[in-house]
This record gives sequence, structure tokens and C-alpha cells, in this order.
Amino acid sequence: MEGIKVEGGAVCGVETDRGFIRTNRVLSAVAGYTPRITQMVGVRTPLVIQPLQACVTEPLKPWLDQIVVSANLHLYVSQSSRGELVMGAALDPYELHSERSTLDFVEGLADHLLDLFPFLGGVKVNRQWAGMSDMTPDFSPIMGRTPVAGFYLDSGWGTWGFKATPVCGTTMAYTLVHGHEHELIRSFTLDRFEQFALVGEKGAASVGH
Amino acid sequence: MPCPVNGLRPLQEFLFGGEFRPMPDPQQASDADWASYVFCRVGEPGIRREWWYHLASGVWFIAERDTLRDEIHKTYLYSA
Repeated sequence: MEGIKVEGGAVCGVETDRGFIRTNRVLSAVAGYTPRITQMVGVRTPLVIQPLQACVTEPLKPWLDQIVVSANLHLYVSQSSRGELVMGAALDPYELHSERSTLDFVEGLADHLLDLFPFLGGVKVNRQWAGMSDMTPDFSPIMGRTPVAGFYLDSGWGTWGFKATPVCGTTMAYTLVHGHEHELIRSFTLDRFEQFALVGEKGAASVGH
Repeated sequence: MPCPVNGLRPLQEFLFGGEFRPMPDPQQASDADWASYVFCRVGEPGIRREWWYHLASGVWFIAERDTLRDEIHKTYLYSA
């Protein structure tokens, strides 16, 4: 997809590397790439992209059968069925459109993890990765219509997990078919900011913000 | 990060202060313009003017940074 054609404030098609597709409805559901799409149609949003990192250790014999989350230490840790400890912490501290990993992250996480479980001191980190989170000021998603007719957003999911995806599909499909938001997502429209009707949701991630 | 006062310092000594945004005149701006100033950001990757803060010395300054490549191009003290 190379561009979205807007005429008279309404979507009329999508430019792709294999030609033009005429349509009067486009739904953007591209997480950390959302600002690049909204730029194509000239819609300003509060979204800011920040990397969210995670890592796993080498496999250990089973010892942890629950997820441990600490809001004070800003970390979560659980043990996978392969025996690896799956760990994460808060967002990276500044805006960046990249999936790079940092030593800073592992150092900070290891520091706090050892406060909880000192006996893990000799355990090695096996893998580390990052994703681009599309963050909103109230930690709630942005869903539904936009100032460009026919251009819909499902974005701002930031550090939320994937478990909301099925109901997003259902409510966004309703929204595109009917031209107005499904009642479950009415609070999440882009215009809530202009109306100062933010939806505070700081429990969005397993790590508090 | 090159601090304009303290020279080159480790990034861990700095706090990100967000995009530099010129404030519209509160008396003249419409509600929509004001909300856009308060909430909206440029968002897409590129070279941005940003506020940064050197924690150890309490210096706020402007950095021009590439938010795609994470490269700092220039830093300087703010002057209106």
C-alpha cells in the first residue's frame, strides 16, 4: 500500500504497487505504523510510538507456575512450557520507530528481577526483542471514525495484549458496515480528545504505567 | 547525548521531554486548535525538535533527533 486517495474530505481509493483500488472505506489497523498511515490522509492524532521490549532466559526446570507482576519494580515474569522465563518491563523512555533491543533494558530488568528472585543471578538471557507500541495519552485505544469520511482507525493499543483482537474485529466490522461506532467502542473515538472526554485506563498492560 | 552545557554525557542521564510544540495564543485559538496543541503529536518518523532534560545538572534543552534511526543531529539551549 503506497497511499490513500482523499477527495473532498472522503476516501476514494488506495494506491498500491499493483495499481489503484477504488473504495470508499479504509480501515487502518497497523499498530506501531499508524502515524505513517494517518499522515497519508492528513489526520492528526495523539499517537506516539515507543518501543516495548521483552526477553527470555535459558530454560530452567519448572519452578514458577504463575505470572508475577510488580507495579513497583515495573516488571512481569512467567515461566513458559519450555522452561524459559518470559520477562518484560515498562516502555522505552523515549519515542522511537524501531524494533531495536538495548542493553539498558536488560540491565534494568535484571536489576529488579534479582530484587524479587536473587537465586536467578547466574541465569543467562537467551533472546531479546522489541515491538513498536502506539501510545495514547489515556492508555486507551483509538477506534472508529475520523475527520476523513470513510477512513477508520483501530489503533492506540500500545501495550495491550492480543486478547482484545476478536471483539475489535466484531465492533470495527459493525462500524464500517453501519457508518457509526458500535456501542461498545463509542468512548474510544478520536474526537474524545477534542471533547476532553478521555478514558483513563492505566491497567492496560500487565505492567502498570 | 551532547548536552549544550555539560558536553557529551551518557544517555541514561537524560529525560525525554517530548516534541517541541509552539503554543498557540490561548485567547485566539479555537477549542479544536487548543485540543490539537494539547493532545496531538507529529507521530510519524522523521527529524524532530524535542525537549530533553539533563537530570544531573537540571538543564532543559532542545535536541534535533531522527526518530527513525535514533540519531541525535544537534542540541542547543532554547531561546524564544
